[in-house]
Amino acid sequence: MIVQQLLNGLISGSVYALFALGFTLISGTHRILNLAHAGVFMTGAFIGYYCVVLGLPLWLAIVLAMIGSGLLSYFIDIVAFQQLRAQKQIEFAALISSIGANLILINIAQRLSDTQVLSFPFGTFPTIFFHFAGVRVSALQLMIVALVAVLFGLLLFYLYKTSFGRQVRAVAGNERAAMLLGVNPKSVYFQTFFISGALAGIAGVLIGLLFSSVYFLMGEPYLLRGFVIVILGGLGSIPGAVVAGLLLGVMQTLATAYLPPGLTDAMIYSLLFVGLLIRPSGLFGGQAIAVAAGRR
Amino acid sequence: MPSLVLERVSKRFGGITAVSDVSFEVPEAGITGLIGPNGAGKTTVVNLITGMYKLTSGEIRLGGRNVGSAQPHEVARLGISRTFQNIRLLPEASVLDNVIIGFHRHEKASIAAGMFGFNASLSEIREFRERARALLDRFHMARFAEHPAGYLAYGHQRRVEMMRAVAMNPAILLLDEPVAGMNDVEAGELGDVFQELASSGMGLLLIEHNIRFVTKLCQNVHVLDTGRTIAAGPPSVVMHDPVVVTAYLGTA
Amino acid sequence: MGIFEVYHPLFNFFLLNVGYAFSQQIVLRAGVFSVATGGFAALGAYCTAILVVDYQVGEFLALAASLALGMLTGLILSWPLARLRGVYQAIATLAFVQIVTALLLYAEDITGGAIGINHIPRLATTWQLLIAVAIVTYIIFSIGRSGIGRAFDAIRQDETVAGMLGVSIRRYHILAFVISGAIGGLFGGFHALLVYSIEPALFGFEFLAMVLTFIVLGGKGSVWGPIIGTAIIVSLPEIARPLAENRQMAQGILMMVMIAYLPNGVYDSLVSLIRQRRAAKWDRANQEKSHAVAGA
Repeated sequence: MIVQQLLNGLISGSVYALFALGFTLISGTHRILNLAHAGVFMTGAFIGYYCVVLGLPLWLAIVLAMIGSGLLSYFIDIVAFQQLRAQKQIEFAALISSIGANLILINIAQRLSDTQVLSFPFGTFPTIFFHFAGVRVSALQLMIVALVAVLFGLLLFYLYKTSFGRQVRAVAGNERAAMLLGVNPKSVYFQTFFISGALAGIAGVLIGLLFSSVYFLMGEPYLLRGFVIVILGGLGSIPGAVVAGLLLGVMQTLATAYLPPGLTDAMIYSLLFVGLLIRPSGLFGGQAIAVAAGRR
Repeated sequence: MPSLVLERVSKRFGGITAVSDVSFEVPEAGITGLIGPNGAGKTTVVNLITGMYKLTSGEIRLGGRNVGSAQPHEVARLGISRTFQNIRLLPEASVLDNVIIGFHRHEKASIAAGMFGFNASLSEIREFRERARALLDRFHMARFAEHPAGYLAYGHQRRVEMMRAVAMNPAILLLDEPVAGMNDVEAGELGDVFQELASSGMGLLLIEHNIRFVTKLCQNVHVLDTGRTIAAGPPSVVMHDPVVVTAYLGTA
Repeated sequence: MGIFEVYHPLFNFFLLNVGYAFSQQIVLRAGVFSVATGGFAALGAYCTAILVVDYQVGEFLALAASLALGMLTGLILSWPLARLRGVYQAIATLAFVQIVTALLLYAEDITGGAIGINHIPRLATTWQLLIAVAIVTYIIFSIGRSGIGRAFDAIRQDETVAGMLGVSIRRYHILAFVISGAIGGLFGGFHALLVYSIEPALFGFEFLAMVLTFIVLGGKGSVWGPIIGTAIIVSLPEIARPLAENRQMAQGILMMVMIAYLPNGVYDSLVSLIRQRRAAKWDRANQEKSHAVAGA
């Protein structure tokens, strides 16, 4: 029983990690919290849904959702953030602007879906279950875990083994210095926002499939979990996001199983709150200064 | 007014020693100079005095009271103020408000009085406003009273910063390169202000590159190089010290 | 029906939100990036509703209790949060709101869980609201005029300078939290006595976005900002039908445009524009004068 719980926790943790990867990439590289990530995630689910309904195969729907969400994410960067880079207090401005962008996406999706919960047609993904040593797991769940592992590996490879990744990390370290060294900021912004959006898009389709629901407000709970993950894992830390995501999934499943019903959320957000107070830079060390100035 | 004493003050960042065993005194009613080539550790000394950095070792005393571990706002309330190398005003606030905020440490009205607009607060606001206007007149800045400070010309911003420092009326005023980017006439005017402040009893620490300016104003000069004091004494003596000349010009 | 009857509920709604806007403004003015107003409001609303419905407590006593609860919560919250800065403060206060919501959902016996509390007597009148708003406006005005307002402005614009001036940042951050909590709690209480029924979802993400929009629109630095910002958002759906149907989109676009082009809000920007104009005129007049002197 506990093994099944742990497994379920790891699976929902993978889902959280998938959402958080793109979120933390932006906050780490550009030091802004992009709340519109939730809207991009939801848009990805919608694109996937409509592609499947139109009769396209699932793999193509996923690819199109990733491309569409990636482009949308870059578009959001252009309209919501580019103008703000000249301002001094970009943190606040970016948060407001991305909330605005998110509201627009939600509004469009609500009109499009007529406030209904949409479900992928039955059989979009084969419902196969594996039984192994008393543990039950579906093929979809296995695929999600495998995909998270692959995407995590690809993202690390991209960031640490390619010249594009070096440029991204240079910008994350010190944007002005990176530009003096000849890094083209436009290309870095395009790459980070596109990748972040594409990750959100595939997360949207997979989560829409897993829970068989595509809904205009589906991003909000994941956004809130996303905050927990990036704080616990350290703002901008990619491995931190994966570990914190898995940890969160397991804790949540165990809390639901063993705590009085309804206390899970209170526990998770208390964890976030307390985590911020004792270790604002996260378990794996973030980069931004979190705490007040004083004698240092 | 009390004087400021630094005793064997050191600051290390990781493995790098920025300030090492520096001792000097800023007496009341006088101007003391602190000079040295770029990177000598002058601004680090200022940051140590004002509570921005933690001391690695040593002691800082104001009138016998140890202020070496006080937080920045406590240091300010005890009577140590500073100006910034790259002027820092409140850019959105008016010139008048930028001066009035200087009186903050002299405020006596309670928080409740401020919140509910009690007379104690109102009369204090009136008093500060009048005193600020008087300062603006003295510095020939009255016509800019309502201008947002961030849009003023450089020289005018410098004056606003000086007015703010005068409003604070500190025991010790640290001046971090106050005449950088000014011509001789402007610098001279500002020098007169410094002398006026010193004769009113204030102790000034002048951190400067402009040797002529320092020689003219200071009674005593301390020369820093790579974090250490290499010479100290009256400017006429120090400026001819071969060690100082080498530090500035390099070994020729 | 007269025009006042038609717009009466709207006017009440406007007054209520002006209260919330002040609760949000006071923290932002002090440079505290808090989004806790929703949490204070939820606590205040439930406090009044429970006292009035379950314990037949009088209206004023219930409202006073809400105010005190908000204030106390603000004080407790400020203690750890005055240490954090920027987005970390925002995330921590968001966690606070989520903890409050989760606990309201959990404590079903007292709060009615997701259904909330219904059949709350509609005891609040427009006059009472008007008087409450007038008092709060006066207090905010007094604060702005006094040394407290100058200290807040100094901290917001440059924390290092504020410290150098002897402003205790911690003390003023705590004060801002306490005032924000008191105002949020009080108007939460009014909220309960205006709308017959309350539920946790009322104080979620949408609430947060709306209250932030009031300030982004109006401005952080004056009493008129929140009033103007609230008036615009509240009257928006009344202006045209498409605006009512796409309220979120309109709000989202406003947020993005304002933060990019008028980051200080409508009112504060107007004031500083007038100041700059006057400054430019002064300079020109003086130049002409000096030319005249030189010519003579």
